[in-house]
Formats: sequence, C-alpha cells, structure tokens
Amino acid sequence: MYDTAKLGTDVNQNETKISARNVQVYYGDTHAIKDVNVDIEAKSVTAFIGPSGCGKSTFLRCINRMNDTIDVCRVEGDIKIDGEDIYDKRVDPVQLRAKVGMVFQKPNPFPKSIYDNIAYGPRIHGLAKNKAELDEIVEKSLRRGAIWNEVKDRLHAPGTGLSGGQQQRLCIARAVATEPEVLLMDEPCSALDPIATAQVEELIDELRDQYSVVIVTHSMQQAARVSQKTAFFHLGNLVEYGDTSQIFTNPNDERTESYITGRIG
Amino acid sequence: MTDASLPNTGGAPKSGSLHEIDARTKKRNAAEKRFRMYGVAAIATGIIFLLVLLFAILGNGLGAFQQTFISVPVYLDESKLDKKGNRNIDDIKKVSTFGYNPLIQKAVLKAVVDAGIETPLKKSKDMKALISASAAAQVRQAVIDNPALIGQTVEFRFLASSRVDGYLKGRVHRELLARDKNIDAEHLDIVDGLKEIGVVKKTFNSAFIFGADASESRAEQAGIGVSMIGSLFMMLVVLFLALPIGVAASIYLEEFAPKNRWTDLIEVNISNLAAVPSIVFGILGLAVFIQFMHLPQSAPLVGGLVLTLMTLPTIIISTRASLKAVPPSIRDAALGVGASKMQSVFHHVLPLAAPGILTGTIIGLAQALGETAPLLLIGMVGYIASNPPGGVIEGLMSPNSAMPAQIYEWAKRADPAYYERAWGGIIILLIFLVSMNTLAVLLRRRFERRW
Repeated sequence: MYDTAKLGTDVNQNETKISARNVQVYYGDTHAIKDVNVDIEAKSVTAFIGPSGCGKSTFLRCINRMNDTIDVCRVEGDIKIDGEDIYDKRVDPVQLRAKVGMVFQKPNPFPKSIYDNIAYGPRIHGLAKNKAELDEIVEKSLRRGAIWNEVKDRLHAPGTGLSGGQQQRLCIARAVATEPEVLLMDEPCSALDPIATAQVEELIDELRDQYSVVIVTHSMQQAARVSQKTAFFHLGNLVEYGDTSQIFTNPNDERTESYITGRIG
Repeated sequence: MTDASLPNTGGAPKSGSLHEIDARTKKRNAAEKRFRMYGVAAIATGIIFLLVLLFAILGNGLGAFQQTFISVPVYLDESKLDKKGNRNIDDIKKVSTFGYNPLIQKAVLKAVVDAGIETPLKKSKDMKALISASAAAQVRQAVIDNPALIGQTVEFRFLASSRVDGYLKGRVHRELLARDKNIDAEHLDIVDGLKEIGVVKKTFNSAFIFGADASESRAEQAGIGVSMIGSLFMMLVVLFLALPIGVAASIYLEEFAPKNRWTDLIEVNISNLAAVPSIVFGILGLAVFIQFMHLPQSAPLVGGLVLTLMTLPTIIISTRASLKAVPPSIRDAALGVGASKMQSVFHHVLPLAAPGILTGTIIGLAQALGETAPLLLIGMVGYIASNPPGGVIEGLMSPNSAMPAQIYEWAKRADPAYYERAWGGIIILLIFLVSMNTLAVLLRRRFERRW
C-alpha cells in the first residue's frame, strides 16, 4: 500500500479521462449493471474489485465497446472519454478500440510470430510508413511490455511458444503498440504464477506514466499494490469508489468492508 | 447396467480384504468385459466385410486392366485402298472400314497358316470372330495419317475380340460355347496355337484407364478415360462454385448474421438439405438448369451445378464447425487491437479454420465424385463418351459421362466383358476417393492447431 502514499503528489490527480453516468447494462432480460457513475482519472491505475459475477468485467468491456459483439447486450447511459460520448452514433467502435486498448484474462497471442503479434495493430492502423518504422514500433512496444530482452533474439518465433507470463506481457506490448490512451485489463494475472504476476504488476505501475489503466482483479492484494483508485462492485452496483488507501483501510460501506475482510464474496 | 441405481443397503461399509473381489465388483468387471467383447466383435465383423468387399472388387476388376492383343503384319493392298494409285488423301478417305476388314482377316489367316495350326476354318472371313471390330478403324486411321504405308506390309497390334479376351482370362469356357453364337471351339483352338507363338498376348491395357467408352458390341475397346475427364470437369465446377459460396455463406452465418429466428430457420434447413436424397437434386437440376435455363443435356456443367447444390450443405456445415472451433479469444484479441470485424475474420479466424474447411471441401468433393443418382436425371448416364473433349468450353458444355455413371452403364450392358469393366471402373473410382480422403486426413494432421 506504500504505492498509494504518493498519490497526493500526483499532478494528474484530478484530470478525468473516463466519466460514466447512469450506465445500465442488460443481457437480454438480466440487468447486469445498475446505474453506475464513475470518474476514472488520467495517468493512474484504477482497480475494479468485487465478487464473481458482480459486473466489473462487463463494465470494463463497455469502455471499449467490446460488448457490441454480444447480440443480447444492451448499454444505456453515457460513457465519455475526454468528454466525448463513446456510444454516440458517429463513433466507430474500431477507432475507439485503437484508442482504448485491452488485455484479456487469458493470454491470447495470435498464433503468429512475436513480431507479427506486435506489428498487427500498427499495420492495420497504418502507423508505420515503412519496415524500419515498424521495426522501431515493435521494439518500443516490446520494451514497454518489459519483454524485449527475453524475445529480442527470436522475434520470428511463434508467440504461442512463450510461457504464460511472457505471453501476457506480449499481449500487453501488443495493446500498447497501437498507442492507446487507455488500457483496460481484465484480470490480466489470473492465469499467471506469482513471479509472472509480480512482473506484470511492476509493468502496470510503469505504464501509469503514459496511460490510464483500468484493471479488473479478483485479488484484493493486487488492487492494493497497483492501483491508486479502487471501485468495489457488488451485484451489478458500484458500491464504493475512492482512493485505494481509503477503501482498504477505512471503507464507508458495510459491504465493502465485508468483502475486503473476506466475509462475503 | 443398473448398478448405479441399486438401493443403499444401509449400515457401515463392510471392510473386507482387498485380495478378495466381492460379488458386486465381479459383476461390474464382467459387464465391462462383455462390452469390450461386443466392441471387438463388431470391429472384427466390419473388417471381415471390408476384406470380402476388397477381394471381390479386386478379383473381379483387376482383369479389366489387362487386355488380349493380336499382333499380325497386314499387307496394305494398293488395289483395295487406293485404286487410282495417286495417294490422293480424299480418295483414300472414301474407302470405309469395310474395305479394310478383308485385309485384316487375310492377315490373321496368314498368321494362322504360317504357324501351322490345323483348323477347319480355311476362309479369311472365319477370322472375324477373333479380332475386335475396332481393328479396321485402327488400320484406316494409320493409313490416313501416313498414306505412304499403302503397298507395304505393316505390323499391327489389334485388340482381340471380347470372347477371345474372355477365353484368356478364364471367363469364356469351352463347355459353354454351344450357347454362344459369337465364337466356336475351332476359334479357341486357333487362339491356343497363336498364344503359344506369342501372336496372341495378354498385356497391360492403358486404354482402359485413358480411353473412351465404346459401343455395346466392342467391350474390348471401352475405357473410362473420357468419363474421368467428365468427372474432372464436374469437380472443377463444384470446386469453383461450392467452395467460395459455401465458405462465404458460412462466414456470414457464423460471424456476421444476427442470431434470430430467421437465421435459426436457415441453419435448420441447411442441415436438412444435407440429408435430402441426391436424386431430388437431380430432378431439380433437370427442371431448373435444363428445362428452364436450357443448358445442354448430359453436360458436365449441368452435372457440376447439380453436384454443387448437393455439396454446399456439407461444405457449409463443416466450415461452420471449423469456424466455431476457433477460440473466441482470438477474435477478442483482434478486436481489442482495433481490427474491424471483417479484419478479425479474414486475418485471423479464417486462416485458423482453413485446414478444417479444406478437409470438409475435399470430403464433399469425394462425395460428389461418387454420386450417380442425380446424373441419371440430367442425362449423363447412357451417353457413350466416345471422344475426349477438345478444350475447356467443350469439356463443360458438350455431352459427357462421369465415372460412376459410366460404371453403372457398363454394369447394365449384356456382354459379360462389361461386367469386368464395371468392377475395374470401381477400382479406379475407389483409388480416387481413397486418395482424396487421405489428402484430407494429411491436411488435417499437418495444419491442425491444438489449443
């Protein structure tokens, strides 16, 4: 929790990147997210915690409109990034997803080479004019993903041949290769061992200086370690949102306290 | 088999020695043993039937790959073939095959006499029964190709008639000759004599594999080659229509179409179409392609179109299955870096599904290759495919037969020589089917990705 101590000195503390107002999500007849209001700060790490099925992943997937791919899913309310409504008719979800990168629960590298995994995003978005620029982007992204030193000699080996932790860092590198502003992470460490988890957490902390990171996690220790702000979801409601230190030491809501002390969840 | 539902007898479990097997365990083990034995018995029965089938096919059909030939020198008499003696090709062409028959028969008789074979058959006409009716056309063609041969004695290798061939293969027996008007015992004596000196010889018959079908009276000349070309053109049509349409339809249905009552209905009906008897597709093809669209009858194009309709459901079902097998995490990954739906499908999902799609397509093609019933209705059965097509357009539009249709046609014909050819055709068809299925298995093994 020492990380959160320096929060007060963070210059970007009050700059809002994502603001959600009265967000409702329905899966068919199921009301999965109930009236969520939250302001997510720029250049900080925000953690979503809560028991399974509480809607934290669903809400995360609303932020880059991944829920659009689910037919029965319906989103109401406003989600704004830099003041622009992302559910506006004029917004193309494809463009949005280039701006809001995502890392998934299970490492899911493409069954292609490490190089092609990273280069795919920049290629389809036309970020590189030539091979040299693309090489540069790949190297930069792999360095950001803290995996460059491990793979620099085998960039053309298949990405699926890496270990689980390496694969997840490769996926993070792939997500940052398109120069997003927001990085969404859906339980990025749940499939990793403690050592790989520590590496990814360290990486998340480094990413904070450039991106707004939103991370869904089941591990309260992880939320405490990496995040500056924490939101606690329960049964589709956002129960409490505040500074991580405050949530873990002095929660306002009874349910939050029950959850972090292990009585529910 | 009801051991799961036996009532609990209550009380604490009796603790017995592990070295003694109790009654219940014995019963269970016996049931398992019995079940295994049923399985082994079933497989053994299957293998026996397969072996019987294989032996029957090979035993009956291998003969078709060998044919009896008679090699004799023929004197090409100028006074018969070119009466004016000026080697004018137009005059030579006026002499029909009837003009050549006496020369050939004379040549055979001379060979018989030279061999010193005692026979009551002294007339050259008597030799007719030994030689295939195709011999005259063979000589005539050689003369037209090279008029300089006239006046010379040229060695020819003629097909023996189907009875002579049958005698050498053991199909024609002397005891049964009384009922056979085509050949007499004296002829067979001659054949025996000529065989001894090597004039009559049984050799490998490439004409069966590459040649054309022949009329009913010339079984010895018939080959499956031209109907093989017919089948090839049909398969090209099927491949070029069914693969793109099938794959595009599956991609749309699987990846893009909304899941609602209409797509459910379409899905159910595609599965139903796969189970529709093929003859129904045949009559549909007759009604739509021939009667309504006025496409030529018996043409491989029409056959291909009908088989496309028949193959589409198979391809769509297998393609959808292999698209479904691509884990959703790959789609998420592509969408997550900002690929459009179409990019995620064409850059990632489709390449991963490709081995499965290819396998399904090859199996669909193999199914179409062996299909006979729809071809009955569009006139590809019964057509005597006597000339190979001249080009792609002709190959598609001019009447032809197909391998299974040709086999069916041969099996119908009266001459027992055709019976052998039908089995031989089945061997060739099976070679195609087995190699296509092997290719499908190899592709799957080679490119299949495990997740």
